[in-house]
Amino acid sequence: MKPDPGSFRDPSGRVYSRDGHIYRTVSAAAAEEFDAVRATGIIEELEREGLVVGTDEADAGKLGLDIESGGRVLEHERIPFVSYYYEWPFSALKAAALLHLRMHLRALSKGVTLKDATAYNVQFKGSQPVFIDLLSFTPYIEGHIWEGHRQFCEQFLNPLLLRALLGVPHNAWCRGSMEGIDSGELSRLLPLRRKFNPKILMHVTLLSRLQTLGAGDRDATLETMSMPPVLPREKLVRMLEKLESWIEGLSPADTGKTVWADYENDNIYDSEERAAKHEFIAKTVTEQRPSLVWDIGCNTGEFSETALKAGAEYGIGFDFDQNALDSAFTRSSKKELALLPLFLDAANPSPNQGWNEQERSGYNGRICADCVLGLALVHHLAIGKNIPLRAVVHWLMATAPLGVVEFVPKNDSMVKQMLALREDIFPDYTAENFEAYIKEKGEILGKQQTSKSGRCLYLYKRR
Amino acid sequence: MKKSFSAFLIAAPFILISQPSYAYLDPGTGAFLLQALLGGVAGVLVVGRIYWAKIKGFFRGTPAKSPEAAQPSRIDEA
Repeated sequence: MKPDPGSFRDPSGRVYSRDGHIYRTVSAAAAEEFDAVRATGIIEELEREGLVVGTDEADAGKLGLDIESGGRVLEHERIPFVSYYYEWPFSALKAAALLHLRMHLRALSKGVTLKDATAYNVQFKGSQPVFIDLLSFTPYIEGHIWEGHRQFCEQFLNPLLLRALLGVPHNAWCRGSMEGIDSGELSRLLPLRRKFNPKILMHVTLLSRLQTLGAGDRDATLETMSMPPVLPREKLVRMLEKLESWIEGLSPADTGKTVWADYENDNIYDSEERAAKHEFIAKTVTEQRPSLVWDIGCNTGEFSETALKAGAEYGIGFDFDQNALDSAFTRSSKKELALLPLFLDAANPSPNQGWNEQERSGYNGRICADCVLGLALVHHLAIGKNIPLRAVVHWLMATAPLGVVEFVPKNDSMVKQMLALREDIFPDYTAENFEAYIKEKGEILGKQQTSKSGRCLYLYKRR
Repeated sequence: MKKSFSAFLIAAPFILISQPSYAYLDPGTGAFLLQALLGGVAGVLVVGRIYWAKIKGFFRGTPAKSPEAAQPSRIDEA
C-alpha cells in the first residue's frame, strides 16, 4: 500500500487507501498522545455527533502495513468526495471555520487542544463539515498558546473576510496560494478605517505587524519563544469564543444579484417545461439507480435535489456563480440533503497541485460519478468559451458512464443573446452534431424536447 | 467607542510605520507575540522592548537589523 501523497506533513502518521477503505497509521510517539486524548472521551463524543470522522482500530498485520512497535493503524469512515477549501463556497468555508472553533472549545473543556488549524483537515458530508485528522488533537498544557492561530487566520478567517469586507471570493486566491491568504497581504487591501476595527486589528493587522516585528529582530524573538507559557486558558477560550461569534455574523458583501443566483426564479423556462426536466431526471435516476451524481452547472441545486429525492445517495453540485453556490449550500443544509456544492470553472478545473504536483488532486483525478447532469451547460462552454462542441461532449462523458445532457439550439433566446454581440463562428453547433459526438463514445438511451425553442435532454450511456 | 480608541492608540505605531513582511522566516512569531500580548504583563514587556529598539533605531537613522542581515549570522553560528 502506498501512502496518500497529501498526508506527509505531519510525521505522526500517514494515510493509506485500499479497496475503498481509508487507513491511518499512528507512530509510537503519537500513539501515546493519542491514547491520552482518547481517554478524555472527547473524540468519541465528537464522533457520535458526526463532527469528527468515524474511526475504528484496524489490524496492521492483516493489512500488511509495516508500523513501528507501539504504533497503531486506524480505519476511517470513507468521505464520499474529497474537496479542498479553494473549492468551497463562502457558506461552506464559514461552516468549516465554525466547526473548527467549536470543536476546539469543546476539546479545551476536557484538557485537549488542536495543534494545527489547516482547512485541509475538514471535509464535507453534504453540508455538514467533518474533521478528519484525529492526530491534530493533543493534550493541552496550561498557558500554552494556540499554535494554529496563524494558520486559522490564513486558511479560514482571511478568506472569509476577503468576501465579507471586500466582496471578493477567496477561491482563485486560495487555489493559487494553497496555504491561504497572508495577513499582511489582506491588511494592505483593507481601507484604513477597517484596520482599526478591534477584531481586524487583532487578527489581521496586528498579527502581520508583529510577524514583521519578530522577523526583524530574531534575537528578541528567540528570547520570547523561550519564555514560559504565557496565555492563561480562560484567555485562550475567550479568544476562540470571540472569533466564533465574529465569524457567525459574517456574510458576503457582494449580496447584489449575480447572473445565475436568480436564474431558478426568472429563467426563461415556463413551469411546465421545468417540470418536464425534473421528471426526466427523476425517471433516469429511478431506472438507472446511480449512487453518486455530479451536477455540473448546478445553479441553486434544484435538479440535484430531484436526483437525490429520486434515490441517488450523494450529489456534488459544481458551479462558478458564488451566490448560486451559497443558495445551493443553504438548500442542502436546510433540507438536510446529501448535496455538496463546490466552485468549479468548467473551462479551468482544479489542477493537481502542491508538493510535486501530487499533494492535492485535480478534477480528473477525483472523478467518481455514476451519473453526470449537464443541464444548460454545453452552450456556455461551446459558445461562451469557444471550446469545440465535440470536446465538450466527450469531456462530460468522461466524467461519468451515464448522464443527462441538455442541448440548447441556436434559435433559443439564451444562445441568441450570447451570439448577439459576436460573430457566429460555430457552424458545427447543431443538434445533429451533438448526437453524433455522443454516439462516438456511447449510445443515446433517451431523448426529450423540453422547450418550444427546441431545448432537448439526452440520456447517454458510455461504451 | 472607548475600547476602539484605546485600541487605536496602542496599534497606531504598528500600523502607521509600515514594514515589509518576512513571513517565510519564522511562521509562528506573529501569532506567538500576539498571544503573549494577550497573555499579560510579561508579553507586553517583551513586545515593548523589541518595539522600543526599533523606535530608537528609527530616530537614530539606524534601522533595526534587517532579516537579510540577521539571517547569515544565525547560520554562521549554527
